[in-house]
Parts: sequence; C-alpha cells; structure tokens
Amino acid sequence: MENIIEVQGLTVRRGTTEAITNASFEIGKGDYVGVVGPNGGGKTTLVLALLGLLPKTSGSIRILGQEIEGFKQWDKVGYVSQYAINFDSQFPLTVKELVGLGRVNQKNLGRFRNKDDWNAVDEALTMMGISDLKEKRIGQLSGGQRQRAFVAKSLVSKPELLVLDEPVTGFDPITQEKFFMQLANLNQKKGITVLIVSHDLAAVFCRMSRVLCVNREVHGSAITDGKVPDDLLKKGYGEHFHFAFHDHRCQGVFIDEQL
Amino acid sequence: MSSFSLLDLPSLFQYQFFVFALVGGALAAIVSAWIGLFLILRKESMLVDGVAHTAFGGVALGLFIGIDPMLGALAVSTVSVFGITYMRRKGLAQSDSAIAVMMAMGFSLGLIIISMAGGYNTDLLSYLFGSILTIDQGDILVLVSLAVIIISFMVFFYKEMLAVTFDEDGARLQGIPVNALTMAFNLLVALTIALSIQVIGIILVVAMMVLPGLTALQLKRSFKSTLIASTVFGTLAAVLGVMLSTIFDVATSGVIVFTAAGIFLFVAFFQRLG
Repeated sequence: MENIIEVQGLTVRRGTTEAITNASFEIGKGDYVGVVGPNGGGKTTLVLALLGLLPKTSGSIRILGQEIEGFKQWDKVGYVSQYAINFDSQFPLTVKELVGLGRVNQKNLGRFRNKDDWNAVDEALTMMGISDLKEKRIGQLSGGQRQRAFVAKSLVSKPELLVLDEPVTGFDPITQEKFFMQLANLNQKKGITVLIVSHDLAAVFCRMSRVLCVNREVHGSAITDGKVPDDLLKKGYGEHFHFAFHDHRCQGVFIDEQL
Repeated sequence: MSSFSLLDLPSLFQYQFFVFALVGGALAAIVSAWIGLFLILRKESMLVDGVAHTAFGGVALGLFIGIDPMLGALAVSTVSVFGITYMRRKGLAQSDSAIAVMMAMGFSLGLIIISMAGGYNTDLLSYLFGSILTIDQGDILVLVSLAVIIISFMVFFYKEMLAVTFDEDGARLQGIPVNALTMAFNLLVALTIALSIQVIGIILVVAMMVLPGLTALQLKRSFKSTLIASTVFGTLAAVLGVMLSTIFDVATSGVIVFTAAGIFLFVAFFQRLG
C-alpha cells in the first residue's frame, strides 16, 4: 500500500524536554488512524511536527512521498487544530467566508477567487451537511456545527490527508456520533486518509483501522474487529492500565445509523 | 460659536481649503478604516497609539534637519512598528510592554530634538493635533498616492490577510507567506499612521483607525460587509467632522473623533435595541 506519511527516527524537543523520542511509523493511503495517549504524552507535538509547524530535532518525515523540508503541496493536507473552535466568537466571518479561506494557498496568491473556488466551497459545505448555515456567522454556531464548518474548510482544497486534533472534545454523544459518521464517510467514500487525535478510546477502537499510542515513544498497531491491543495501551498509559472495553460496545456506538 | 448658518454650507465648497480638507479627510478615513479593522481583529489596536506617539520623534527630527516632517514620521513609525513586532516575536517583551518602550523612545527623541532646537514651534503642534484645513494640492497628491498603494495591497491580498488575521498557524500550513504579509502589513500601518497624522494629529490618530471598525463590528455581519460598513462610518465621520468644525469654528480633529464616537454610540445603542 502507498504510504501517505513515513516517519523514521523522529525526535522532537519542546524547550528542554524531549517530547517525541525516536519514533518510526507509516500511515498508508486510506487509513483511518486514531492517535491516543495520556495528557502531555506528545500527541499534539507529533501532529504539529508532521505538519511542519514544529521543527524536528532529528529523524525524517516524508509526506506524500516527499521530504517535509521541501514539501510544497500543503493544499493536499487539511488540518483542524484543537483550538479551532475556540476562536473569537465576535470575529465577523460567515460560514461561507470561513470555508472559502480553505482555498487560499501559495498557488493563488494575490489572485481573486473564481467560480471554481466557490463551487468547491459549496461542495465542501454539502459534504459536511451544513449548506443551510453558509450565511450564518461562525459565532452563532453550536460546537458541533463549528467543528463541521472547520472540517469543511480543510476539505475545500480537496486534501488527501485530513488531520484533526481532539475534534469532539465537549460534544454530546449524538453530536459526536454524527461527526464520526461523516468522517467515516469521507474516509470510505472519498478515500481521504484521516488522522484523529482523541481521548475517546472506544471511538478509536470501534471506528478506526489503525491506532498510534503516544507517550514520548510512538507505538502503532492495526485494529481488527474492534479488538484492543492491550500491550500497546500499556506501553502508552503504563503497566497498570487496563481498558475495560468489550467489542460488543461498538454496536452501541452505532446505535442509529440514520443519525 | 460662529454666526455661520446651515444654509451657508454650499458656499463653503467654493473655498479650496474646504474641498481639500474633505478629500484629504475622506482618503485618510478610508485607509484608516481598512487597516484599523484588521488591527482590531488582530487585537493590536494599541499598536497604533504607540507607533503614532513614536512618530512625534520623527516629526521633530524632520523639522530639525529640514526634510518633510511626514518623511521623518514615516521613517520613525516604520522602525517603531518593526521594533515592536520584533520584541514580541523574540519574546523580549509582551505586546503592551513593547509598545510602551517604543512610545517612550520616540517621545524622548522628540523632546531631545525640541530642546536642541530651542523649544516648541507651531509646526510641531500642528502635527500633534492635526492641521487638515491647511493641506494643499501637493499634500492631496501624496495622500492619493499612499491611499492607492494601501488600498491596492489590501484588495489584492484581501483573502490572504483575512486568512492570516483569523488563524495564523492555519494560514502558514496552507503555504501562505505569513511573515512576508505581516511585514508588508506593518509597513502599511506605519504608512497609514504617517498619512493620518496630518489630518487628525498624533494624539488622536488611534481613534480614526479604531472607531469605524469598532462601529462596524456592532452590526454583526460578514467580514466583507463589516469592511464596507467600516469604510462608510470612517468617511462619514471625516466629512461630517470637517463640515461641523467649519460651521462651529472649532478644532477639526476633535470634531472628527467626536463624530466617530457619536456614530459608534448611535449604532451600538440601536443594535442593542434591535
């Protein structure tokens, strides 16, 4: 399988602390990856390094087959940060304007947006089911609507990789379920590789095809039929950690596919 | 109060100084409103106040060495705005402390030069409080040129500036040259301040850059509508301010600021009623 991300011997320092130590892993095209691990374990650091927003101390990162240092196709990568929905709610921006910002990149610097750009905006809004909200100000949206608007913004450049950092924090179970179903749809029907940082282990093991457990070291494993790789979690959360999870709970998560 | 009546208002248009004041005021108001809205949203409103006060040193320097004081103001404003940004980015000082340092340095430079020149003169005071009624054709040409530069940049890089203002990290990831755009924007801030000083004066320039944007934000509309409303409110304040100050024969810069503040209160009040 073609790899979207290849990491070899990655070490990242934040200040005097080594936040990621000698990590090596791959993410294949079409993977649906959950990044889990304890608070302060380095999940966000890992994501920021993969996106080139944080310098690496050593090792190599390849995205879409290119070394990150020379990588220019950032329009192929969509990112929603964990702080995305905590913007200034007074900022005068409509959903359509926000999603339109996703079409701004190095290639169209100083150029006016054309019909294709706005068609792509409409398509992304439809994909996330928020077309009816496009004239609303982003400050008027609920948490779930905001998150979908930000995902639409990251989809508008038609990315091959979508990275979301703790996208469902503070969501009620139904909103969370709707959101994960839309992401699964993007992954399965559009073939977009999705990487999600999450504390919700049940959602990761029920929904996703791979897991990366981060606690300075990064350990990866495939997820088969919702089975929890116990050894992997112990490496991340500690020897005494036991995740009381039964795969039949996955059926409970998919309680109503009509949501 | 003067014995001027409203019926005499059309007759004012036969005076060149009045027409120049209206045109100059409107031009400065438009660019101030555009740049000001971005500054408000970047939470950098006080940067204007700091840089404008620093420009006092530049005006004094210009008068002292015999060059156009506006050039002096522009040079010192540019150094100041980049100095503040540098101190902030390198973690040498928080935003408010960096502004305080540059403001004090600019003012101190002005004081030193004044003492060397043997005291204040009327020219220097006119830059402190503005002298819109004295602008001539040459000044209008300079104002038009600067306004064209600033508006062209903001029109062509509208979407990039909006992206950077809303989410700097996100913009960086999208490949937008954030540092280059921020540098260019800082230069425009310095240019706008230098341009507005002649109209409204060093002391009050912050009001002209912040009040129209703040008023437009009360309307809670899209970004595009807010930018247009901000331009309308700023221009209205400048035009009404020039007219009212001429009618009542009082300080123009003060009236422009009071008009802008009045529009703000009016809009904020009716928005809350609605």
